[in-house]
Amino acid sequence: MKETFEAIVIGAGHAGCEAALALARKKHKTLLLTISLDALAFLACNPSIGGTAKGQLVSEIDALGGQMGFTADKTAIQIRMLNRGRGPAVQSLRAQEDKNEYHVEMKKVVENTPNLFLKQGEVESVKLENGKKIIKTAVGDEFESDVVVFATGVYLDSRIIIGKYTESVGPNGFKNAKNLSKSLKKLGYELYRFKTGTPARVNARSVNFDELEIQKGEENIQTFSFMTNKRIKNKACCYLTYTNEKTHEIIRNNLDKAPAISGEIVGVGPRYCPSIETKIVRFADKDRHQLFLEPESLSTAEVYIQGFSTSMPTDIQEKMVHSVKGLENAEIMRDSYAIEYDCINPQQLKLSLESKLHDGLFFAGQINGTSGYEEAAAQGLIAGINAALKLENKEPLILSRCDAYIGVLIDDIVTKGTNEPYRMMTSRAEYRLSLRQDNADLRLTQIGRNVGLVDDKRYRKFLKKKMALEKVYKNLDEKIKISDKLKKFFENNKENPPKNSISIKDMIKRSNLDLIKISKEFGLFSEMEEDILNEINLIVKFEGYLKQQQEDIEKAKKAEQIKIPEDFVYEKQKGLKIETIQKLSQIKPENLGQASRVSGVSPADIAVLSVLIKKHQGEKNERKN
Amino acid sequence: MKKTIVAISTPLGKGAISIVRLSGENAIEIAQKFFMPIGKQKIEHRKMVLGWFDLGEAKEKCMMVYFKSPNSFTGEDVVEFQIHGGTTLTRLIQAKLIEGGARLAENGEFSKRAFENGKISLAEAESIVDEINSESEAELKASLKVASGELFKEIKSIQQDLTTLLAQIEVTMDYPEEDENEVVREDVFNKMTEIKKRLNDILSLSKQKALIKKGINVAIIGKTNVGKSSLLNAIIGENKAIVTDIEGTTRDVVDASIDYNGVRFNFYDTAGIRESQDEVEKIGIEKSKKTAQTADITLLVLDGSENIKEEDERTKKLIKQPYIIVVNKTDKKRVLEKQQNEIEVSAKNKTNIEKLKKEIFEKTIKEEINFNGLATTNERQIEALNEAFNQVEEFFKEKDESLEILSLLIKKVWQSLGKITGETENEDIISLIFSKFCVGK
Repeated sequence: MKETFEAIVIGAGHAGCEAALALARKKHKTLLLTISLDALAFLACNPSIGGTAKGQLVSEIDALGGQMGFTADKTAIQIRMLNRGRGPAVQSLRAQEDKNEYHVEMKKVVENTPNLFLKQGEVESVKLENGKKIIKTAVGDEFESDVVVFATGVYLDSRIIIGKYTESVGPNGFKNAKNLSKSLKKLGYELYRFKTGTPARVNARSVNFDELEIQKGEENIQTFSFMTNKRIKNKACCYLTYTNEKTHEIIRNNLDKAPAISGEIVGVGPRYCPSIETKIVRFADKDRHQLFLEPESLSTAEVYIQGFSTSMPTDIQEKMVHSVKGLENAEIMRDSYAIEYDCINPQQLKLSLESKLHDGLFFAGQINGTSGYEEAAAQGLIAGINAALKLENKEPLILSRCDAYIGVLIDDIVTKGTNEPYRMMTSRAEYRLSLRQDNADLRLTQIGRNVGLVDDKRYRKFLKKKMALEKVYKNLDEKIKISDKLKKFFENNKENPPKNSISIKDMIKRSNLDLIKISKEFGLFSEMEEDILNEINLIVKFEGYLKQQQEDIEKAKKAEQIKIPEDFVYEKQKGLKIETIQKLSQIKPENLGQASRVSGVSPADIAVLSVLIKKHQGEKNERKN
Repeated sequence: MKKTIVAISTPLGKGAISIVRLSGENAIEIAQKFFMPIGKQKIEHRKMVLGWFDLGEAKEKCMMVYFKSPNSFTGEDVVEFQIHGGTTLTRLIQAKLIEGGARLAENGEFSKRAFENGKISLAEAESIVDEINSESEAELKASLKVASGELFKEIKSIQQDLTTLLAQIEVTMDYPEEDENEVVREDVFNKMTEIKKRLNDILSLSKQKALIKKGINVAIIGKTNVGKSSLLNAIIGENKAIVTDIEGTTRDVVDASIDYNGVRFNFYDTAGIRESQDEVEKIGIEKSKKTAQTADITLLVLDGSENIKEEDERTKKLIKQPYIIVVNKTDKKRVLEKQQNEIEVSAKNKTNIEKLKKEIFEKTIKEEINFNGLATTNERQIEALNEAFNQVEEFFKEKDESLEILSLLIKKVWQSLGKITGETENEDIISLIFSKFCVGK
């Protein structure tokens, strides 16, 4: 007997967990299958969440009602804000996570969510029968559902490589999925072979930390989640060290043993996450490379060496590690390895992350050619929401590039595809000034509420914040009369005092003043939290730029609103270049905005296309009448 | 709402009347920034109104018609100006309207808007597609001419330099923990200073060349009977230039044109200026003043055989730089005291005429003009260059801002130049980050 569910999620990594939680929280009976229960929400590479652009993703996931931010806050052992002083939009939170705790906490959440059934099992095949999806596992179990989310991570036909040694397993020695790739290929999915890697872990007792530069966390700073009420306590430190000429010599003398360089590895690795041997070959003039030592968990002595991933044989790895200051006597507990795996071409997906080939099949995470926990979770959440909306016969949720980093991420991979594991970067977001970590809740909570993932508690808190912001903002035009106190305040802050009275708003605009200083000095808004004042301060300081960007956004939104009907046949259109027709009919963009980002499509093509779409619709309406 | 667009909707240089058309929500608002009806006329739907168009230094008489939405060609609010006058004037009016907030229309955009607002039937849609395609092709051909040339290479190279600069800034922000890659602000400013100079070089030469292309307007001004007309005859006679009477408006009669060193000079003879009670003559004098004020250079003609008169002094006050004081009638005894920067000529004997021409050339065409330098005379390209240059100036105004804002402003410069090179998205930044910098774990 086949057990029946509304939805099945394959894989319980960062994408799979978010997808399954979204489906179950929207009250759909959901089966979450994982190859190993011990690998659930496993931080397979570095023990950290957030970082530039990724911090923004986590806060966006949180605002939409996802899980990652809240759990990451709970199990963080160190937190910092990156890019302070470089502008408001590029500031991102980065937390060191207790890797064991993160897994445990996420597993608890999954286990305790109603409608969600967690089960260990390797999926072997997917079959489509009259709109139903039949999932078969290696041991022969069969499950049936209406929608399926593929979130298989790096487990598809994966193999790890350490020097000459290779083994067909998943990350960290977990079992891999041997046959699912074949099933996907049979269904028509184009498979790519990507590669990534992870460095060695060493025992903390063997590291000479005294010689290294310490990197501490920041106290009393923001959190990822809007719902975390406590500030994060820093319980651990990171350390900074460098490779040196000796390390480089060891690597150079053994390049023939490095599989990525000798040609043993065929998979495409990310340029932003190169192995140390790749760095030394490509940047031969650099005499040192930075390495961060990150604690893996409070419950283990394992330390992660960020920046030192390699696929060299273990004897060379040991020599390399021992050549580094502070690591002279390091005991390696886990070897560094490279891992190759199958993924699909994300251009075969719609913006909803549903397959263009098959109704009801959704894809999220590394299977789509991305990398990173946060990128995976973001896609998982959207795929989960859209799978649920599909079950509910509702329109999918599509976040645009103007709404969120999540929108940028999905639009990028779906429209342009990727030829290496895709990583989110702030430079990819053209509207990043508006897509800040600090306003993720303001941008997306309402959307999360509309799709049904934001509960009453969060929504009430959100409305309260919004009201507080409005209240402060309304009072900014209030003028403060010129007085000795005011003059003194300006002079102390190296600003020229005004001649007459001055509004609070104009004071904020002075470069050496801010709303926190002003409110303290004049006893204003004392009932307001500092986060509120900071938010207002930022909005006022960057008012001009934000307004300009808003105009660009409006323009982009207009193009997004012009939908390209599914029955619009490019080949039949007169006036489009053949080359343009080929590209557009391959990608099948969903709206005019997306069409304009298909590579090789010109603004003139878009002008023509907009006329043709209008004509197509007009003719359709005429036929109806 | 859609931004108000503007374009010259009649072929340039053909026909006696040119039409400049505005369409969009703010059409009327923009038009009224410059247009003032004469008398008590009201601006009403479909009513032709005569008035003055304020060009800043001068006013131009023209007709304006307003079509209220939805009863217009595009279905939006439309304003049309009918101008009696040559290409220069028409372009000037268009430029003013852009200054006032309109955007230069894209290819086929008026028709496209008309179609979108249901003003053009579905059956005619294809003709709009053709219009967009053919105009784009024409533009492509124009830019291809540029593309093969040095200018295109230079603009591309500026874009590439901006991209490199952006990659340096972006890597600092996307990899903040790798402090060895941190960009130095001074380096950014130095690079931008260099780019500013390169843009300025192209732009100022382009503007010069555009000026040369349309011809340089020379006004001849002076009180009655100082020999303005004979001076004009001397100038053209000697050069055996054809006396043209390009039909513009009654005011805008180009009395004669000559080619000098490959540049076209258009001469405008004006009515003699003197205090007059006569209404007709008053109008003529007003015209003379305006001609002098809108010309690229003015020749103030004085009679060398008599003392300076009050009228001469008043005329002198009317004119602006650059000008040349021409002391005529050197065939007679010199009575007039020495003038600053004067040139003595005798129109009658045709003496020193060549010297005068040389002087006019040198005063209007900058000495350093390099005819082989990098420049464009394409209106759209000049606009894009102007925009890019303004963005650079904006950048320097905000140079104390955070890296992120600087990056935003540099991107705008890049985008403006992209209008010339046809590149709309900068995908190279990220590639450069990875190829130039060693980043990542």
